[in-house]
Parts: sequence; C-alpha cells; structure tokens
Amino acid sequence: MAASAADVRSILAIPEPPAAGSSQPAKKPQGTERAKKPEGIPRELYALIGPHVPTLTAQFTKPRLKQKPNLAGGGRVKWHVPPTWEWRPFKNGARSDGLRLSHWTKAGTDPETDYQFAKYNIQGTPYVYTHEEYTRLLDDSSWTKEETDYLFNLVREYDGRFYVVHDRYEYPNGPQRSLEDLKERYFGVCRRLIRNRPWIGDEASKKALLDSLTFDKDREVARKDYVASLEHRTPEQITEEDALYLELEKLKENERRFRKDRDELLRTLCGIESGLPDIQVDEDGLAGATFDTKKKKKGVAGSVEPQTPVTPSANTVIALPQPQPKKTSAKSAAYGASPATHLLHLEPTIVVDALHCIVRTEVEQTSSSTKAAHVPVHLRSYKIAQPKAALAPRVTQVLSELGISHSRLVMPTRDNLTKFAALIDAAQQLVEIKKAVDKHDQDIQTTKARLAALRGETVEDGDVPQTPMDVDEGAVDAEGEVDGRAQSVVSTRSVRSRKQGRRSMSVSSVDTTGGPNKRQKQR
Amino acid sequence: MQSTSVKPNYGGDEVAALVLDFGSSSLRAGYAGDDTPKAIVSTSFGYTEEQAASNGDVPMGDESTPEGEQPQAPKAKAKLYIGQNGPSLWRSGMQVGNPMHDGLIQNFDAVPPLINHALAEVMRCNPAEHPVLVTEAAWNTPANRERMAEIMFEEFQVPAFYIANTGVLNAFAAGKGSALVIDIGQSTASVTPVVDGFVLRKGLQHCALPQLVHAHAKHLLTSPTSTRPGIQLIPHQLIANKTPVDVGVLPKYTLREDRIAGTTDSWRAWAEAHEVDEWIQSVGGCLVQGWNEVFAQQQGPRHYEFPTGYNNFFTGLERFAVGEQYFTHSTQLQASNPNLPKTIPALIMSAIGQTDLDLRQVLLGNVVLTGGGSLFAGFADRLATEMSRQFPHVKIHAPGNPTERRYGGWLGGSILASLGTFHQLWISREEWQEHGKAIVGQRCK
Repeated sequence: MAASAADVRSILAIPEPPAAGSSQPAKKPQGTERAKKPEGIPRELYALIGPHVPTLTAQFTKPRLKQKPNLAGGGRVKWHVPPTWEWRPFKNGARSDGLRLSHWTKAGTDPETDYQFAKYNIQGTPYVYTHEEYTRLLDDSSWTKEETDYLFNLVREYDGRFYVVHDRYEYPNGPQRSLEDLKERYFGVCRRLIRNRPWIGDEASKKALLDSLTFDKDREVARKDYVASLEHRTPEQITEEDALYLELEKLKENERRFRKDRDELLRTLCGIESGLPDIQVDEDGLAGATFDTKKKKKGVAGSVEPQTPVTPSANTVIALPQPQPKKTSAKSAAYGASPATHLLHLEPTIVVDALHCIVRTEVEQTSSSTKAAHVPVHLRSYKIAQPKAALAPRVTQVLSELGISHSRLVMPTRDNLTKFAALIDAAQQLVEIKKAVDKHDQDIQTTKARLAALRGETVEDGDVPQTPMDVDEGAVDAEGEVDGRAQSVVSTRSVRSRKQGRRSMSVSSVDTTGGPNKRQKQR
Repeated sequence: MQSTSVKPNYGGDEVAALVLDFGSSSLRAGYAGDDTPKAIVSTSFGYTEEQAASNGDVPMGDESTPEGEQPQAPKAKAKLYIGQNGPSLWRSGMQVGNPMHDGLIQNFDAVPPLINHALAEVMRCNPAEHPVLVTEAAWNTPANRERMAEIMFEEFQVPAFYIANTGVLNAFAAGKGSALVIDIGQSTASVTPVVDGFVLRKGLQHCALPQLVHAHAKHLLTSPTSTRPGIQLIPHQLIANKTPVDVGVLPKYTLREDRIAGTTDSWRAWAEAHEVDEWIQSVGGCLVQGWNEVFAQQQGPRHYEFPTGYNNFFTGLERFAVGEQYFTHSTQLQASNPNLPKTIPALIMSAIGQTDLDLRQVLLGNVVLTGGGSLFAGFADRLATEMSRQFPHVKIHAPGNPTERRYGGWLGGSILASLGTFHQLWISREEWQEHGKAIVGQRCK
C-alpha cells in the first residue's frame, strides 16, 4: 500500500492534522491512533477513512464475545499459564544411601524438600535384649539364644508377619517349630522384657501393651484343631449337620407358635390379670428373636417347662389400657385430689372432655368374646362400616346409585361414620326385604301358574317373563337376558344381567322405601 | 506426575524405571507405569557358530564358566539372531537356543544380548539412565538372582536394580496383596501362595505340565490313526510350493531341498514345536464340566490346515483330550510314567495343604489365574468347576483381557516400580559396590 493517510487527505483536500512538526514526532500520534483502531476494520481502510466515521466503525466491528475468565488472577487480563514441570533428581529420606532417582516435579518447588513418600517408611519397634538379660530372664530349655536371635531377626525382617516368618523359618539343626511355637516364644520374650524393664509411662499403657502381646498357645492350638476338624468333615457329616440344623429350626418355630397361642389364650381368659403385654412386638423382630433363641436354647438343652406367666411389672403396666369405668374413677380421683375442685366438678370427666374436645367411645362388644378384651388405638377410617359379605355387591350397588362411595369416606368424622353405618344398615335391610318380596312374588306366580295348569287353562307365555325380577338364585339365563335387554344394557353374562335387572328395580324401590333412610341421614 | 504440592491419590511416583520380565516364550520389557510392555522379544534365539556345526548339541556357553568376567567371549564365536528376525528366519546351520529351563535362566550367556536387544534395539533407551526391575520365578536360586544383578550392574550400568517375584507381581497386577496365583506358562505351571506380598515358599508348587500337554498334542498329531496317517510337521520355511488338496487327502508339496542340508536339529525341533503350539491354540480346548467322551464328541470337529497343505477335521474327542491333560491323567499314563507332572488340581491341593489353616480361606477367596497358557479355550471355566468341587468358597480372578493375562507378571512389575513407596527398596549402584552380591538376598526377600 503505497498511499498513506496524508496522500489520501491531500487528494481529497482534507486539511492536515494540526500537529505538523517534523516527521519524527508526527509518527508518534499516528501510532497511538492506530492503536485505537477498532477491531474488524482492515488496516488499509482505516488508514483511508480515519477514526471519524462512526457508522462504518459500528458496521465493521465484530460482535464482542464474552470475556474469557481470568484464571491466573492479577489485575491485568492474563491467560492461565500451565505450571511448568521439570525432570529433577530427588533425595529419598527413606534410603540410607545417596541414590538420586529422578521424577517430574513442578518447577520452582524446593529441590531439597523431604520426599513425600518417605514418611510411609515406618519401622516397628524392635525388641532387643542383651546377653545378660537373656541369661537372667529369657532362658528357656527348648530355645537356645542363637535360635531366639534368629527368630527375632526374622520377625523384624518381615515386620511381624508371622505367616511369612514361619514359612521362612529354617534354623539349621533346630527342631521343627510350629507357627504357635514361634509366636509363643516371641511374645513370651517381649512380655518378660517389658515386665522387667523400668517403664516410663503409666501403668495403664503398660498393661495395654502387655495385653497386646499376650498369646495363649494352648487356646490357639485348640482353635486350629477345631478349624481343621471343621475342614475335614465328610460330605455325609455336612449333610447330617444341615439336616439337624433344619430340625432344630423347626422345633424352635413350633415352640414359638405354641408360646404365642398360649399367650393369646391367657390374655383372653384373664385379661389384665394374665400380666402379659397386650401389644406384642412381632416375634420375629430382632430383639424378640435373640431373646427367643436364648430361651429356646435353654429349653432344648434342659427341661421343656411351660413358662409361668410373668407377674405384672412396671413394663406391663404401661401398656395396659384400663377398662372404661376404672379409668373414669381414676381420672376423677386424680382431678379430685383437692376437695375444692371436687365440688366444682361433679362430673369431672365430662367437663374436661368437653373442654379438650375429647370424645369417649364405648368399646364395641363384638359377638365373639375372645377379642373383647382390648381394642388398640386405631384410626377411625379403619372402622368404616362394611356391609355383610353376602350382600355386599348389592349394597354397594345401592350406594353407588346414591352417588356414595362405599369404601372411602372423604371426611370420616364420628358423626359421618355413624350415619354411614346407619345407611349401610338400611341398605342391607332394603336389599333383604326386596329379596323376600321377590321370592314371594315368584312363589305366587308359580303357584298361580300351577293352579292354572291344574285347571287345564293354557297360560300365555308372556306371563312368566313379565315377572319384574328373576328368582334370586335359580334364575334362568334367558330371563336375565330379557331383563337386560329391557335395560338396553348389553349384558353378556347371566350374573351381570341379573345385576342389571336388579338395578332397574332397586332404583325405584330405593325411591319409595328409602324415605326413612334419607330422613335418618338428614337427621 | 507428582510434586510435593500435589496430593498423591494413588501413591504413584514414576521415575522412568524399566521392567524386564523373563519368560520361557518371551522377554517382556517396558517402562514402569505403562499397562503393556513396549518390547516383547522371543526368548528363543538363533545362533550360528563360526566353527563347523559338528558339535551342535553343545550349548554355546559351556566353556564360559571360567571366564565369567568376560561374557563377551562366546559372542565372538557365535553370532546371535534375536527378535523378529531371529529363529523364525531360516539360516543355514542356525541353531536355536533358549536360556530358560524350568522357568529359570539356566544359561546366562545369551541373556545380555537378549536384554540389549529389547532395551536398546526395540525400546531405543539407554539402560544406564533407568532403574531396572527384573522378575524371577518364585523358585529361583540365590546364585541366579545374584548373577542377574551382576549383569545389570556390570554390563548395563544401571543406576538401581531390583528383582521381584512373578507370583507376587501377578498378585499385584490383580490388585491383591494376598492371593493364590495360578500361573500357566509355556513350559511351567505353578501355584504360588502369596501373603502380604511375600511368597510362602513351603506352599509353592510348580511342574512342567504345559510341556506334557505339548508332548501329548504332538504325539496325537504325528502318530497315525485309523482315519488318517501321521501328520508331518514341516514348517513353511522348508516348503518350496504346495497345491491345495481336499480334506484328509495326502498333501502335495515340494520341499526346499537346498535348505534340508543346512537345517539343524534344534531349529527343526523349535519349528515343529511352533507348529504344534499353533495347532493347540486354534483347535484345542477344555471341557468345562469334566471329561465326558460323548459330550466331547458332540462338540463337533474343527478344521485345521498345516503348512504342508494337509488339512483335516479334528474331532471333539481329539481336541478336548489335549486340554484334559491339564486336569486329569489317564491311569495308563500314570502307570507308564512315574514322574508325571502333577495336574493343576493336584498342584492346588498340595499348595493349599501346605499353608496355614487360617490362610486357606484368604487364599481361596483370591485365586488369580494368569499366564499365556491359561488362555487355553475353556481353561478358566474348567478350573472354576474343579475348584468349586473341592472347596466351598472359591473366587477366581481371571482377567478377560488376554494381554493382561499373558503379561501379568510384567504388569505387576510396572505397578510396583512406579509406586512412590517402592523407591526406597531399589538396590543402588552404591550399595552394590559396597555390599556386593549379598545385598540382593537381603533386599529382595
């Protein structure tokens, strides 16, 4: 590019910039001007147009990207420089010689710092003894000093790995030593040394150290024998053992069941006097299991005597709910501790209950006496009245026609529950009555028909199908289908069609006979 | 990799150590910290002697013992051919030697050239700049390891040296400190109990079982049967041309007559062994559930073609009889050969029987299967069934990656030599000069 800015200016007759001194100083401002050149405009073009055309500048500048993060820190924008590494020899503190191996390390770190892996070179405390100590304390008829020395050397060499020590133990002309022999000798010597040397620390630490060095050879040998015998079992023995174990488990299970039954019986018969906790933790629970097995073991080993009921103790009292009358009296006694309050509250429970919105329900007496003793705490929604099983489908049908879900009450309050129970009751009655009516109707029809037959009159076919309902149990499929068609509901199965048929009836019947029921509900 | 400011999370600190793993079939060499060896060189090497090959049976280094100081001496007489263009390239009068026998280096004369080939020619590195870790079999003799140390320090001028046990290294490669290592090599099978990184020498068991398997296969191929004649194991180097033939038909080929005269017995044996190995590897197998003739027959035949052009289908019976040699010996074989190598289950039983009762469970829960021979088809599964019959709780670690299985010893060495805490164990040059050979036994327990 030969044409400079000055040339262009002269061509376009633009006046020279004011700083017109010698050529040397004139260059300086030009340099700074160029430094201000916006990005994206070619240098030649910028030289031509100069910095005075803002629209062009705006057009040519590239969209600026987000600034890169300043990872290296520091005030100025400085890109992250990866640390330099260098191959450098290092001194390993764990070595006794001067071997200098090299490794890669960050440049700038102190070359004389401790080798970081040297700290893992940990030596155990070796036990050494003098000749005098040996003759005084450690003399043993079966061990010579030389062999003891050899043993101690090996233990030190293999850092107390006795399996390896035993493997490498080859004392010339020495007797065959077992692993237990070696351990006994080593630990015995160590213990004697510690006992007889002056101890710097406190007694507890000395005892702890001695404990850590105890070795009972006989016990170890016996244990190994057991392990060996366990390992040398024949397959028959193993299967027999398994069978016996299964047998034992069965016995345990039986006894557990027996105990459970007996407890239940006791509770039923004696109530609180049985002294048994009412709410039983699951027998298979953890605590129960260990407790149980212990007992069972005892039982298996010795006499299998039935357990005598435990006398009521503190823990049983907690769980026992008192019968209603007793409770009230107890309450009154509690509240009536001071005579003054007693006068005020003639019937304290009622007042208190009203105050605290407590509602007391009487324990429902079910027909079977076995379960009467106790009703545990429960959610009211668990006690929603259920129709009798035999009538359940029809009752639910009735309810669904009323638009009531029979299984779920949105708000199972006490009032709602009683109302719901009454409703169910009424529905049941209704269904039963309806059934009876139908049966009688049917009877009448058939007897009439028979009568007619006896009289020799031919009865029109239409009569029989015109029965408003089929017979309860012995319904013929054809009849049901007729009913179903009448409903304009496509029915495929007789049962279903029967139900459909009943449905048409029940709607009307509910309308008529449901009067008291509704009234009850509104009440 | 490491610096004092960076907290190490795996304890590694690489000092560019080299790892050398001698095996019967190959020498593995590479940098510590890698996962595979850089150089894998066949341990078998070819050599020609300057004199006439009249006394070809004599191994070339027999007279070297008096002049142990100058191991270069036999080199002057014999020219060695090592590596890819070693024994596999036919040369007139070339013998084939192998320094390894029974898993140990028996002839040290060829060891320096082998190491030099692997390090200098394949890896292109200068051993004088790197500490070197060498592996050894668990039953290696002290004299052997001291000789190896001498070679490394005196000939290769290594700054530091360590010799580690392949059993321990295989356990390390599997990430275990205690393990029962079952190593099936080319010439030797061994069972090594390792506890806390130490071999229990009393429980160590090894035998030449793979050689028996090989011999069995060779016998099976070369002896004629009712359906086929004995197969000629002529290597392709000796065949001039051949024409394709149908299955089971006698081969049509012409020998390279010019080469027959110059072929030595040792080369021939090496080449035939190679052919047998190829056949075993492509056709042989193990029945997973134990020997069952009917079931073996059902597995179906497999086709194989020899260099002569002869090709045939090998029945399941033949194929699986080969692998069966690892696990059971027929009664007639046992009767005819009293020094039969022990089977793998027998090796395991005696190894376990020698160890402490408390250790057995630990070892059986950490069985490591390794070695190229264990890649035999169906071997790992068969071993699992055999062991689960014998012992109640067995867990076998058998790497699925063939490289890891074949070079487990090298991999363990690579791991060991790149650990920061290991660097205190190197025998340095200084120590070697100060203490002499005794330091090897003291340091490498």
